Amino acid sequence: MTGNVPSVRPGRWTGPALAAPAVLLLLVFAYWPVLRSAWLSVHGSDLLGRPTRFVGLGNIAQLVLDGALRSVLLTTVVMAVTSTALATTAAVLAALLLRRAAQRARGVVALILSLPFAYSAAAASATFAGLLAPSSGVADRLLAAAGLTGPGWLTEPAWAVAAVAVTTAWYEFGFAFLVMLAAVGQLDPAPLEAAALDGAGEWRTNAAIILPALRSSILFVVVTQTISGLQIFTQVAVLTGGGPGSSTHTLVYELYQRAFGGGLPQYGLASALGLLLLVLVGVVSAAQLRLGRER
Amino acid sequence: MVRASTTSTSRALLRPRPLDSALRWTGLATLVLVVAGPVYLTVATALLSPADVAAGRLLPDPRHLTLANIRDALASIPLGRQYLTSVAVTALQATAQVVLGAMAAYALVFPAWRGRGLVFALLIGTLAIPGETTVLSNYELVTGLGLRDTVIAVALPFLAAAYPVFLLRQAFADLPREVWEAATLDGAGHLRTLTSVILPMARPQVITAALWSALAAWNGYFWPLLITDSPQNRTVQVGLSQLVASESATPGVVYAGTLLVLAPTLLLVLLGQRFLVNGLASRAS
Repeated sequence: MTGNVPSVRPGRWTGPALAAPAVLLLLVFAYWPVLRSAWLSVHGSDLLGRPTRFVGLGNIAQLVLDGALRSVLLTTVVMAVTSTALATTAAVLAALLLRRAAQRARGVVALILSLPFAYSAAAASATFAGLLAPSSGVADRLLAAAGLTGPGWLTEPAWAVAAVAVTTAWYEFGFAFLVMLAAVGQLDPAPLEAAALDGAGEWRTNAAIILPALRSSILFVVVTQTISGLQIFTQVAVLTGGGPGSSTHTLVYELYQRAFGGGLPQYGLASALGLLLLVLVGVVSAAQLRLGRER
Repeated sequence: MVRASTTSTSRALLRPRPLDSALRWTGLATLVLVVAGPVYLTVATALLSPADVAAGRLLPDPRHLTLANIRDALASIPLGRQYLTSVAVTALQATAQVVLGAMAAYALVFPAWRGRGLVFALLIGTLAIPGETTVLSNYELVTGLGLRDTVIAVALPFLAAAYPVFLLRQAFADLPREVWEAATLDGAGHLRTLTSVILPMARPQVITAALWSALAAWNGYFWPLLITDSPQNRTVQVGLSQLVASESATPGVVYAGTLLVLAPTLLLVLLGQRFLVNGLASRAS
């Protein structure tokens, strides 16, 4: 590639030296922890959480055999799938509706719809905590105005899981919408004009031309949202504290509880949970690569 | 002639029918309501008096707006002090990520050296490692270094990141190679070439990388929660979650805290959206 420019001869060590700081930091703070987790996950922990004897696959077996841990996994997957479905559907719908809206209104609406992107997980959770507060929150007040009584949004297991999923969907919507908006803006206009000339209606055009053209962007949004759904922690910590009972314990919240919660630190089991997360994220990323290639 | 008539036909066909238009705006209005409702609630509750909030008067009456909630939020926890911590963490983390990322990207694009393919794969591979998987070991390591509960500790594991390397490598590779050759032939050192020739030419992508890094640093929660104890070393995100717990009886103060934590990123989204979206496009492709 560079063979035809013999006059430029940087020192042999220039490249490695310039890359070294980033590489070393990532080796220490990203790769080493994975190896360390793998090692910790096959060991027991003492009262201070320090690794003790070799337990083999004991911790990993516990992830499968322990009913409480299985339900943690189920809760995590339910939250990830629900929030991804809600945020992605709403984002695609918003981008499609906006495509043919009047120019001036489109700018304002697009700006408003991108606002959740400014929220951090903690800020979104704080906002929904206020919204769902018993009796004084807006949700209960609106229901009361209609003569209804709201459920215990954050105190009934199913509602609490739904509350975390909806908060996550709302907060992820900003990102998903920005991706879809950019993708719609980059559509090739030729097939769209041809469809219009053929008299195809808007929704027909959406289904036959636009959605297939948006495929890779939708895939990207679904994958990134699923991955961040699998990592839900802040929303649970702020909204429910894992409750009621342990009904909103997610993978990461469980990891936090086992390693840093009130009880005895279980670094071995916490490491196994961390590795499970790594594997799940890996599977979702691999699926993206696979699906992205099939075209 | 043919061309003109085609255009007018397509205009006629492109004009939405009234029913479509009504459906479109109903759909958009619903989405705007759901999306903007919580934002409105944040701003209105933060700026209204507790009495108005309790009585459910959420329409902003300019005569009743108050900064009392903001003052209370800054003083409690203490969110005001934590603001400085968050600013320091964000500045440190974003600067390091962009500087180290630019150096690595330069090394991967310009000089030819054995192993650079491997190094690129190694850097990009970290994108698949969730931060939560690494916290245990990083907690041990940072605590072992005696840095627990310091501002440095919050930023340390994230001083380098794959995304800026990825973004800047693409940007540098799109520059004409002759520029780099001319600069090095003139005898400019590599750091000099990077800072005075390459970086200015890749300015938009450098801004994009810096904004994404800053956004991630400001919004971080899990790691800062674990590695800090004392209120003054907590970041605003952790402080806000404590505000939710301690001030739940005064929603005005919680929402004022939310607004404070939100303000910098809100400005970023309103003013820097162009740059952020550029970053999205390169990620999605």
